Amino acid sequence: MNATWYSILSFMLIVYVVLDGRNFGAGMLHWLVARTPAERRQVIAAIGPLWTWHEVWLVGFGGTMFAVFPKLLASAFAGYYLALFLILWCLILRGISLEVGGQINDRMWQGFWDFVFVVASTLLAVLFGAAAGNMARGVPLASDGTFSMAFFTDFTPRGYVGLLDWYSVSIALFAAVALAAHGATYLTLKTEGAVHDRSAGYARVLWATAAPLLLVISVESSVVRSDLLGHAIKNPYWWLGLLLDGAAAITLISGLVTRREMRALIGSSLLLAGLPATGAAAIFPVVLHSTLAPENSLTVYDVAAAPNSLTYAAIWWPIGFALSAAYCVFVSRQYAGKVSVKRDNQGFY
Amino acid sequence: MNSISDAAFWSRIQFAFTITYHYLFPQLTMGLAWFIVYWKWRALRTSDEKYNQAARFWAKIFGLNFAVGVVTGIPMEFQFGTNWAGFSKYAGGVIGQTLAMEGMFAFFLESAFIGAFIYGEKRLGPRYHFLAALAVALGSWSSGYFIIVTNAFMQHPVGYRIDADGSLGIDSLSAYLLNQWAWIQFTHNQMAALVTGSFVVAAVGAFYALRGLHLEQARLYLRAGTVMGLTASLLVAFPTGDQQAKMVGIHQPVTLAAMEGRFVGGPMAGVALIGQPNVAARRLDNPIEVPGALSFLAYGHFGSYVHGLDEYPEESWPDNIELLYYSFHLMITLGTIFIVLMFGAVIQILRGRLESSRWLLWVLMLAFPFLYIANTLGWMTAELGRQPWLIYGLFRTSDGYSKVVSSGDTVFTLIGFVGLYFVLGVLFLFMVGREISHGPGDPETGGHSEEPSV
Ligand code: HDD
Ligand code: HEM
Ligand code: HEM
Repeated sequence: MNATWYSILSFMLIVYVVLDGRNFGAGMLHWLVARTPAERRQVIAAIGPLWTWHEVWLVGFGGTMFAVFPKLLASAFAGYYLALFLILWCLILRGISLEVGGQINDRMWQGFWDFVFVVASTLLAVLFGAAAGNMARGVPLASDGTFSMAFFTDFTPRGYVGLLDWYSVSIALFAAVALAAHGATYLTLKTEGAVHDRSAGYARVLWATAAPLLLVISVESSVVRSDLLGHAIKNPYWWLGLLLDGAAAITLISGLVTRREMRALIGSSLLLAGLPATGAAAIFPVVLHSTLAPENSLTVYDVAAAPNSLTYAAIWWPIGFALSAAYCVFVSRQYAGKVSVKRDNQGFY
Repeated sequence: MNSISDAAFWSRIQFAFTITYHYLFPQLTMGLAWFIVYWKWRALRTSDEKYNQAARFWAKIFGLNFAVGVVTGIPMEFQFGTNWAGFSKYAGGVIGQTLAMEGMFAFFLESAFIGAFIYGEKRLGPRYHFLAALAVALGSWSSGYFIIVTNAFMQHPVGYRIDADGSLGIDSLSAYLLNQWAWIQFTHNQMAALVTGSFVVAAVGAFYALRGLHLEQARLYLRAGTVMGLTASLLVAFPTGDQQAKMVGIHQPVTLAAMEGRFVGGPMAGVALIGQPNVAARRLDNPIEVPGALSFLAYGHFGSYVHGLDEYPEESWPDNIELLYYSFHLMITLGTIFIVLMFGAVIQILRGRLESSRWLLWVLMLAFPFLYIANTLGWMTAELGRQPWLIYGLFRTSDGYSKVVSSGDTVFTLIGFVGLYFVLGVLFLFMVGREISHGPGDPETGGHSEEPSV
């Protein structure tokens, strides 16, 4: 049961990364791929009406974690206190910039909200990347299952670590590049004209940058968590994750090379799903690794709610999920195809 | 619990501030949603364009309101972990269930259809557009239900059991979801949300009527707003508000005593119309009471015995009796005023004179802020009355906060929220004011301009 819930939670978080990740990516590249006000509206329209639907996966993930792993929520959220509030403020600003930016036809107004959109999206990509780095590296978890952490300490990933050290910074960098590449791939599919051409160019350059970075962070991970590889190879799901990453990379590359936009987006989505999935399989069953003493680490068995609560959740969760899958079919049929600023215009909408 | 360097105190202030602010928006979402559904339905039935025009106009305001509701709602969910880690650890097995269900059943529904509803009238066609509006309304009400089940558990825990490690788990999901407290609280709260929606709709109608603009639409808003407003205001007071008070009397007698400022128990308890609680002297100063009224309202007989605070140990008293007393009494006063006002407006409508009663239109136009005040006071009554418990009778507020978070961090994030929410509020008022000044059916923003806005 606990392992199943671990998979479900990882799945929900991954859906969130894949869906909202392209919005972060589009946000980071907004100024680069769109130069005129009309082009900027095109980018916003490509994200437009769906950002709440994407963001809600984060809400669903948080709620489900609260129900099944309440002690993980308590420990991690209190420990990451300031970082989480930074994320929250960025999410608020990002959402508002999307909603109100297009509503007034004025250069100063739109320019300001475009700026907010770019900054918030970039910070979100970096912060989520740093969070992933923290999950892999571990946090200074004490024996009572709590921790508190500074933004940074001495930048070494051992002992009393901070949120940022050289390892988590490099993961954050990789996340920013990969999400930007993902966003560019998405924009290539959804837009036309100059935005499309620039996005296609950025997608290729950014993915080409991401590949060596991925190699670097893999090597770094094996140094920082030397115990992890030996542990991971015993987990069949880890091998499955690697297989997925390989298939995703091939799909992505062939999509980019042959300019099949849909194939490239599928590849890039699979890759962004596969990488965290591989990571999740590698650390299982530990959900919070302690950098102070391995016996302080929390596993899915330590943090779970009582079995009865897990069983109840297992009854309603599939129903909720089936419903949301149905809405997803509806949503994707509604918004298939290239956006047109005329039809999908945000201002007003 | 109340000093500046105390993290628990600041976590309470932060939670109270952020939730009060958040709830300003969902109450209008939940209230307005049914007006829009109603107009979409009328438009389908009669093919009269004015109903579509009304639905389109209010959808714009709805969209803005919804967006702020969403962005301010997400911090609420996070704060259970960040600020209330002790509480989450203890009760997450129970309250996490409904918070997760809210995400899976309500927010997924709402967020999938809100885009289609606001942007998609052309793409969907009238019938599906009506269904999208309906889905959004159902989504917002079910999200209200799940959150109120969560809160009702904190007021009156049922369906739980205490597990081996001392934390709470679900014993019966149906008992938890069908908590009697939740049903009564939900109906009361939803009626109050409908009153908010009604007053806002009527206020915009009154504004247009006073300026002599968009008269056909103004008439529509005034009529729908006042008829719904009167119905819902009545339902807020009776039976739902009355039932709330009875329930508090049964399950939290000490809270009822504090709400009413009753320091000494006894039969023939009165309701104080006016009076100031004086906690130090243990009495109500300058009271003007209706004798026996409280006994009757709470227990059904004028002679019934109503407990007083003196019968309970002081550490089980709510820790801010004055604020609790004033919140409760002001809520009821406002509720009475709403009924009277809406009653007058409906009478004028029946006589066909509302549009010429300028003074009444002025009052209707300016009354809507009091709805937000009344709703907030209601929640303050509920939440202050629950103190010192976080889960009534089971878990104290002083055990619930995150021990690892310093008060400095909490003050810092609280200041951040105050600043950010101030900006959000100004922005929201500005955008809504703009929509109202453009008005319904204005060609520049009227529904779906075909021109790109660049
Ligand atoms: C338009 C707003 C509004 C108005 C006019 C009223 N209420 Fe109310 N009341 C609420 C809006 C509200 C609320 C915001 O919806 C609350 C907060 C918690 C809840 O479920 O509803 C609430 C809570 C609340 C509580 C607290 C329950 C608890 O401690 O948990 C009681 C006893 C009442 N109400 C009773 C009344 C009575 C007797 C009213 C007579 C007119 C009344 N309310 C008018
Ligand atoms: C929107 C309506 C609500 C308002 C206006 C409101 C208001 C408040 C206020 C004023 C406090 C501070 C009480 C004090 O510290 O003395 C508080 C505390 C709290 N409320 Fe609510 N509340 C609302 C809804 C909810 C709901 C739905 C929940 C649960 C799901 C909830 C959970 C809490 C918690 C956990 C605290 C902190 C602990 C405490 O101080 O009691 N509230 N709220
Ligand atoms: C009485 C109290 C509350 C009610 C009735 C309520 C209801 C709603 C409604 C109807 C929405 C939809 C958006 C909107 O209309 O603005 C919403 C948004 C939201 N609420 Fe609240 N809420 C309350 C308190 C809370 C609390 C205590 C939490 C924390 C768990 C919370 C979490 C959220 C979240 C996360 C969203 C965003 C949903 C999305 O992304 O679509 N709300 N709330």
